[in-house]
Amino acid sequence: MKTLTRRPMIGLLAATLLTGGLAQAAWVTPAHSATPETAAADAQALPSGDEIAARINARDDGNSVARSMTMELVDKRGKKRTRKTRSFRKYFETEKRIAIFFEKPRNVRDTAFLTFDYVEDGEEDAQWLYLPALRRVRRISGSDRGDYFMGTDFTYDDIRQDTKVSRSDYKRTTLGMSEVDGRACYVMEGIPASEEIAEELGYSRTLSCVDAEIWMVLKSEIWDLQGQKLKTIHTRDIRQVQGIWTAHLLEAENHKTGHKTTFVMSDVDYLAELNDELFTRSALKRGL
Amino acid sequence: MIIEMGKSRTWRFFEAVTACPKTVLVVVAIVTIATASFLPRLTKDTSADAFMPAEHPAVVYRDKVKETFGLKDPLVVAVVNSGPNGVFNPESLKLVKWLSEQIADLPGIDADRITSLATEKNIIGVPEGLQVEPFFVDPPETQAEADAIREAVEAFPLYHGNLIGENGQATLIAAELLDEEQSQEAYRLMRALVDSAPIANGEEIHVAGQGGVMGYLGKYVDTDAQRLTPLAAVIIVFILYICYRNLRGVVLPLLVVGGTLGVAMGAMAAAGKPIYTITNALPVVLIGIAVADSIHILGQYYDELSLRPKAQARELAVRTMMAMWRPVTITSLTTIAGFTGIYLSSSMPPMKDFGLFASLGIATAWMLSLVAVPAGLTLVKPRMSPALRAARRISKSPDRSAGNGETGQSRGALLGRRVGRAVAENPKSVLTLGGMVIAAGVIGLSQLRADEAPIDNFQFDEPIAVADRIINKLMNGTTSLDVVIETREPEALFEPERLRRIEALQRHIETLPSVRSTVSIVDYLKQMNQALFDNDPEAHVLPETADQVAQYFLLYSMSGDPTDFQEEVDYDYRLANLRVTLNNGLYSNEAKVIAALEDYIGTRFNSDDMTARLSGHVTVHYNWMNQLLSGHLVSVLISLIAVWVMSSLTFRSAIAGTLTLLPVAISVFLVYALMGATGIRLAIGTSMSAAIAIGIGVDFAVHALDRLILLAGDRAKSLDEAIEDLFPTTGRALLFNFLTVFFGFGVLVSSQVPGLIRFGSLVAVAVSASFIASMTVLPALVKLLPPSFLTEQFRIAQASRDISVRWERLGISEAPDRA
Repeated sequence: MKTLTRRPMIGLLAATLLTGGLAQAAWVTPAHSATPETAAADAQALPSGDEIAARINARDDGNSVARSMTMELVDKRGKKRTRKTRSFRKYFETEKRIAIFFEKPRNVRDTAFLTFDYVEDGEEDAQWLYLPALRRVRRISGSDRGDYFMGTDFTYDDIRQDTKVSRSDYKRTTLGMSEVDGRACYVMEGIPASEEIAEELGYSRTLSCVDAEIWMVLKSEIWDLQGQKLKTIHTRDIRQVQGIWTAHLLEAENHKTGHKTTFVMSDVDYLAELNDELFTRSALKRGL
Repeated sequence: MIIEMGKSRTWRFFEAVTACPKTVLVVVAIVTIATASFLPRLTKDTSADAFMPAEHPAVVYRDKVKETFGLKDPLVVAVVNSGPNGVFNPESLKLVKWLSEQIADLPGIDADRITSLATEKNIIGVPEGLQVEPFFVDPPETQAEADAIREAVEAFPLYHGNLIGENGQATLIAAELLDEEQSQEAYRLMRALVDSAPIANGEEIHVAGQGGVMGYLGKYVDTDAQRLTPLAAVIIVFILYICYRNLRGVVLPLLVVGGTLGVAMGAMAAAGKPIYTITNALPVVLIGIAVADSIHILGQYYDELSLRPKAQARELAVRTMMAMWRPVTITSLTTIAGFTGIYLSSSMPPMKDFGLFASLGIATAWMLSLVAVPAGLTLVKPRMSPALRAARRISKSPDRSAGNGETGQSRGALLGRRVGRAVAENPKSVLTLGGMVIAAGVIGLSQLRADEAPIDNFQFDEPIAVADRIINKLMNGTTSLDVVIETREPEALFEPERLRRIEALQRHIETLPSVRSTVSIVDYLKQMNQALFDNDPEAHVLPETADQVAQYFLLYSMSGDPTDFQEEVDYDYRLANLRVTLNNGLYSNEAKVIAALEDYIGTRFNSDDMTARLSGHVTVHYNWMNQLLSGHLVSVLISLIAVWVMSSLTFRSAIAGTLTLLPVAISVFLVYALMGATGIRLAIGTSMSAAIAIGIGVDFAVHALDRLILLAGDRAKSLDEAIEDLFPTTGRALLFNFLTVFFGFGVLVSSQVPGLIRFGSLVAVAVSASFIASMTVLPALVKLLPPSFLTEQFRIAQASRDISVRWERLGISEAPDRA
């Protein structure tokens, strides 16, 4: 039962010093690659980190969505666990609610998960799990943002942001332009705004490629608190569904454990009528 | 005389060697330097694994299990507080937090894989659900808060003994390494960190773990290498100087030593073999053995010189070699036989290498003694050794053998002669004494215990040994055994029926001696079940259905790492690992546990759908010791037979061969008697003593018997006289030969490695016994039961003397020359 260890700022500072510049991913073409003058001009032409973040968060992702999500977890020896779910998301007044109903494998069928993510920082998020074998809804508390979500390589924070980004967690800098999967993107570096935030997230640095046209994060590289490359998250199969740009494939690979996670979305429906009742504890128990 | 049979060929050989002595010496020097040039390539391997052949099934399976379950050998820091609250007080918990954070910052440590009170999470049920949270985020400020943490930890049985110790007096911080090869450096950093830790409330901090083991052995090897070899060299130079008190008496043997070390160690490096803790003793041992040949050759040289004061250097060298090549060859072969016994019987790489490269070194020493020493002697002007000349001056008084061309009669020689006479006159008493030693050896053999714990490889008061004892006392222990449970299909381990069988197996294992804890996935499921049923202690049982089990794992993953439980169950829930912790790493205890466990698994656990197999440190160490013990007897037998065959062949008499074995047998029995009496156990290192003692010890008997035959066929008129003469001549050389070997092994007493200390002392005692027995028991036996090959020599000699008397009467004064 080992858990992620929190570390003090000293290590983080050392790590960023060590990795800064050197650990830049290969797919980054620095804006200031030419003469100092043109570099300065380019830098002025590029949107700032905060601007990019604002554009990402302004992207329409529908008020609600219903979708099938298949989670495929592969350990470093190539052994696979597959879980098929039907999941729902809806924005409420003060929070975003996500409900996930497990369909496969058979032994976890009807297990259901509900989470309330409050927009305001003060309110603690709440999560419940229904276990059919016990026929009881259980509240799960104390999940940190940096904790892993359901044994995947995504943290709770990765899941919560759901292709959006936090406004206050990172200091962002635009480094230049690049290309991912044939799409032009801005390369944006994020450094956690404070020691506390870094420790909560378990990250010391992120390097993201943001699609310059549709403002979606296409690829993120993430470094841990020791400055070691921790994981890569890759967003693929981006298609418009009902006029909304939707990623149908999310891949996360943990470079330290060799563990990989793939989320495949299908039957995405932004127009589905989602009753508020669906996002309650009794609905968890009732099932779909 | 026997040597005359090979005269023409050997004579020609030594003439050739001494024809261009400078060229010979230059070639020897080139070969030595060429092989020694490989030395910088030497690496060291101090891992415990080095002692097991990599292809041994137990090792192969252990590695597979480690890979499957991601098992690592962590460095372990124990924080001990003997105060009333144990470690559960604000200061100690602050220290634990501080250490956990600082350890994570150390290079080489996997910061994600640190386990301590400051990192572990508590799973508890609260009215509305399940709560998974750390025992504490910030260290407590008050004793009341610390007490609350203690209560929480103690309510979690899985942490008993591995996270917190009995009475809360100790807590462990376990840190995994990114690369286990780097454990030595990590251990050093960890020790430095611990030394700088802020101690606020009388805490003691200890560091243990597999990494520490390698770290210490690495340090031992370095210290030994820096100290033992120079020490041995100084002692040997001193002995050589005392022996002949001139430059050639020191330089020529050292030439042989240099070549021997260069070739043996150079070959080791060239073969890509690392230095192990055992082979680290090789240079020291070789120094002691390699000079023996030259000491005997020089002894003969001065003997020849006193017979022929006017002879040329080359003639003297050839004559010396003609007399000495045979005993030198026999003793080299018998010593090689002893080490070959180790090589052939052992399957452990360090012991195999020890046997192999020692044999190579001894063969080199033999060759150099036959080539470089006569070449060297040809180059120097014949001059009497000051030591022997002085001896001569002292005994100006007429002695019956003084005119016989004896090599001087010092006080030592007179004393030797007196001992010789005493032996010749009281053979029965001498034999009775020898018999008593053998009897004591038989008793000792019955008391002999083959046993060892891996920690015995360290000095008793070494911090790592102290840490080991403390963890064994206050915590579950430092010795682990893995029971790997295998089923046939994925998710088969969700079945409660199988989980209950694993649980029953755990309960059985817990009844075995020294077992302090067992942990498997069963324990985690029970803990989760209890948490889900409102923390009801009654609910500390396995879930009832397979679906429940599956959902518990899913539930746990809500806040756990993807790699949680990897040490207990594989990713598709087909294999499980049951870890047993013991607080006793002794082989004798492991043997009991393994036998009981294999019996239970075979008769009550295994079925068509689920089987168990043993792995882990205990299993490897147990197999390791089994190999060592079976190899021990074989090595002794191989050595005895090889030595007997070689001795019999060269003396052309099975009786002579048997005679030479007698002193050795006495010495081996003495070793066993000592081991039995002092409680020294048969273990790594000590198990090699007997075979090596045979190979080396027999040299004394060979030299003694060879000299007796020579004397019988030459100067001595009776057996008594031969025995008496044995002491001042060969006896002197043998004494110095004995001293060099004795100190070569004796130097090991100052080694850092307990196993080498015991090995060195046992061999030193054994060669002492061999030496004394060769000079006393052997002549006594010859006196009581004169063997035909010896009486035959007397008869021939008598006949030739009769002839020479007749020649003298005929006016021919020249007696037949010695060969």
